Amino acid sequence: MAARRSRSVKSKAHREFVSEAEELLDRMSGDLSDLHDQRAVGEIDPDLVNRIFRSAHSLKGLAGMFGLDGIGELAHHLEDVLDGLRLGRVAADAPAVGLLDEAVALFGKLLQRLGDEGKAEEDSLAVADLVTRIAEAIEETAAVQDELVDLDVDPALMRALTEYEEHRLRENLRRGRHISLINTMFEIITFEEGLAELSAAVREVGEVVSTLPSPGETPESQIRFSLLVATEVDAEQLAARLEFADTSIRAVREASNRAASIEMASAPAPELATGLGESADIESLKSISDTVRVDIRKLDELMNLVGELVIQRGSLSRIADRLCRDPETSRVGGELAKVHKVIERKLKDLQNSVLDVRMVPLRHVFEKISRVVRRLRRDLGKDVSLEYKGADTELDKLIVEELIDPLMHVVRNAFDHAIESEEERVMAGKPAQGRILIEASQRGNHVVIEVADDGRGIDPAEVRRRAEAAGLVAPDAVLTPKETLDLVFLPGLSTRDEVTETSGRGVGMDVVRANLTALDGIVDIDSVLGKGTTVVMTLPLTLAIIQALIVTVGDQRYAIPLNSVLETLLLQPEEVQRSEGREMMNLRGEPLPLRRLADEFNLRSTSEDEKRHVVVLGLGELRLGLLVDSLEGQQDTIMKSIQGPIQQVRGIAGATEIGDQGAVLVIDVSSIVEDAMRRRDAA
Amino acid sequence: MSATDAAAASGDWVELARAAARGRAAPEEPERLRELLSFQLNDSSYAVPVERVREIVRIRTITPVPRVPKAVLGVIALRGEIVQVVDLRMRLGLAQPEPTRSSRIIVLHGEDGRVAGVLVDAVREVLRVTEEFIRPAPPGETISVAELCLHGDEFVSIIDLDRVLKLVDDR
Repeated sequence: MAARRSRSVKSKAHREFVSEAEELLDRMSGDLSDLHDQRAVGEIDPDLVNRIFRSAHSLKGLAGMFGLDGIGELAHHLEDVLDGLRLGRVAADAPAVGLLDEAVALFGKLLQRLGDEGKAEEDSLAVADLVTRIAEAIEETAAVQDELVDLDVDPALMRALTEYEEHRLRENLRRGRHISLINTMFEIITFEEGLAELSAAVREVGEVVSTLPSPGETPESQIRFSLLVATEVDAEQLAARLEFADTSIRAVREASNRAASIEMASAPAPELATGLGESADIESLKSISDTVRVDIRKLDELMNLVGELVIQRGSLSRIADRLCRDPETSRVGGELAKVHKVIERKLKDLQNSVLDVRMVPLRHVFEKISRVVRRLRRDLGKDVSLEYKGADTELDKLIVEELIDPLMHVVRNAFDHAIESEEERVMAGKPAQGRILIEASQRGNHVVIEVADDGRGIDPAEVRRRAEAAGLVAPDAVLTPKETLDLVFLPGLSTRDEVTETSGRGVGMDVVRANLTALDGIVDIDSVLGKGTTVVMTLPLTLAIIQALIVTVGDQRYAIPLNSVLETLLLQPEEVQRSEGREMMNLRGEPLPLRRLADEFNLRSTSEDEKRHVVVLGLGELRLGLLVDSLEGQQDTIMKSIQGPIQQVRGIAGATEIGDQGAVLVIDVSSIVEDAMRRRDAA
Repeated sequence: MSATDAAAASGDWVELARAAARGRAAPEEPERLRELLSFQLNDSSYAVPVERVREIVRIRTITPVPRVPKAVLGVIALRGEIVQVVDLRMRLGLAQPEPTRSSRIIVLHGEDGRVAGVLVDAVREVLRVTEEFIRPAPPGETISVAELCLHGDEFVSIIDLDRVLKLVDDR
């Protein structure tokens, strides 16, 4: 027992390594299969190679940190291959590239062993063997015959090209594009704009391989540039497209014809070469060293600190107000108010910066899900394609983490239940291959993720039958089609009898909804029988800071998210009207149902039937007036989830810390409003 | 790899059983100490494993939470975290005096990585005991105490935390 514990403590670091390395490997193998696809087509996206390179690089760093030399060395050799590939030294069809797969497989094996046994020992023989083979493979391909020497360009200019630029040049030659040299002159003051314009014009028909300043003879206030460009059109056509003053264009190589050349006007000077033409791909590689991995908990701490500052700022503002009101102190009060304004602005900036750091793209989640679907497709032999769009949409890291489970569940539901068998689909006149589309997009302060399938759809009659059987809805209740469909979110309602492994064992849409509610999000479902189902999840961009209205009932204070509050009113007791015993009021000619927060939460209210404050809550089309004892004002707060044995309390979205008065519960407006409306329906 | 693991890998159940029996007969580290945090509830001593304790804090404002079982007193704010506080007395079926100056909230690591607070009358000490001082609780009397620890002449009840905390949510 003791020995086991000490081993597990020792291997904790390794477990962390394993989980992180697995993540990297996952990404790498996904990217590698993309690479193979692109190889087949013959056009490789440099970004993809860069991404794989970064993965290998991170893996190397990670292995180094944990003293796993074998893995580190293997990763290092992968880097060599990828770097070669990136710079065109290694051809895409070289045997070395094929070894990448082998390396990833070996990594997987090593990691598994590490994870299973908690041992740092590696299979050094297998690693050494693969490393040798990779090294040999690189050497073989390094002796690539150089076609660049055939180009009619001043050797000095050729020498000034970066390795990456050379690679782009080769790549363009391979594609048979026209290579031309543009010589041009700009006013020094405005050269950046001119250059940008010229480059943009070239990019319409091709690519700027390199931009080099060249001395030549220029008037005092001018600067001369040479641009090596690769275009679909020849030099003459290019010249026609580019209407720039003091610009000459010369063909360096005609497409698929190596002869044409004209005298060169001026020789570019290599020593003046700058990074002007350096591409974004190289930039992104550099950024490796500029990135810092941060524990999300440290960011939480930072968030908490910022939150506390924001809350303290509130009292500063109150003090300034008080000083301003007293004529004796109004001058210093005004000064304080000014300082306060500056602090407020800077705090907002700080808040935004911290929030920004927490944002991560959804790509990782989507890739994970698409891998699961690929596996399901293989295991279950069901032909379903999964596409995703908007993978670059960013969300708070914590939300992304919490989103994986519900999203995966929805996708699995679609895969498992919604998409029919091939025969069924063909019978129904649909394509044999089922289709699931995940689409993410940002809308204002929210991110919307839609999961659409073209499966059998949800049968409202069936949902109704089950809900009645489960006693969730009265047999004589009249429901709109939409309300019927929404029944799937109730606990205890599964739309299919059998529970398969892929569906997540009986975890239904109610859990999806609960998961999303916990994230302050909402989930909606739309389905057309026979055509398909779309599940729409709407999430806040970040959990972070909410503006809340603080209200009191009895001796308790509650926070109501301000974005759900439409207005607040003062209500005289005689304004309360009753219909069937339900309380309501006349709000500008419309009936506004009223609920007492004290009743909802079983609290003793201090002001029995005197004048009350009404907080008008809005949830979509629904309106509800919530009666409270008093309003304490607005406050910026950070909503936290509540930890402990009780996982969820209906009506409570979380809690927040306000000043030194301990925790204040945050009201879950959507469930309060929904409950009020449901009870109304039931009554 | 221990003998048990090796047997498990071979898949031979007889071997596995033997290895397990050997393991029990001859612990790898006989003088290993169990560390228990003991505390007081209504004049009786209880204890929880030290490794489950994250921190001990003074009693502070507990915000009541509606719609939860009575044993959940409410939530406290703890450096930005919001943590439920469970009244252990109510869980254990004891009378409940008002919190006093010596009352403390013990913040425990739950099974799922989240934390929970339990309110106790007073925190006493950390007991370091070997297995020979541990006795199984007499059967039939309790659902929350699995073992007793003999401390001098006194028995300290070792609380089965996971059961106690899980049972809170028995709505």
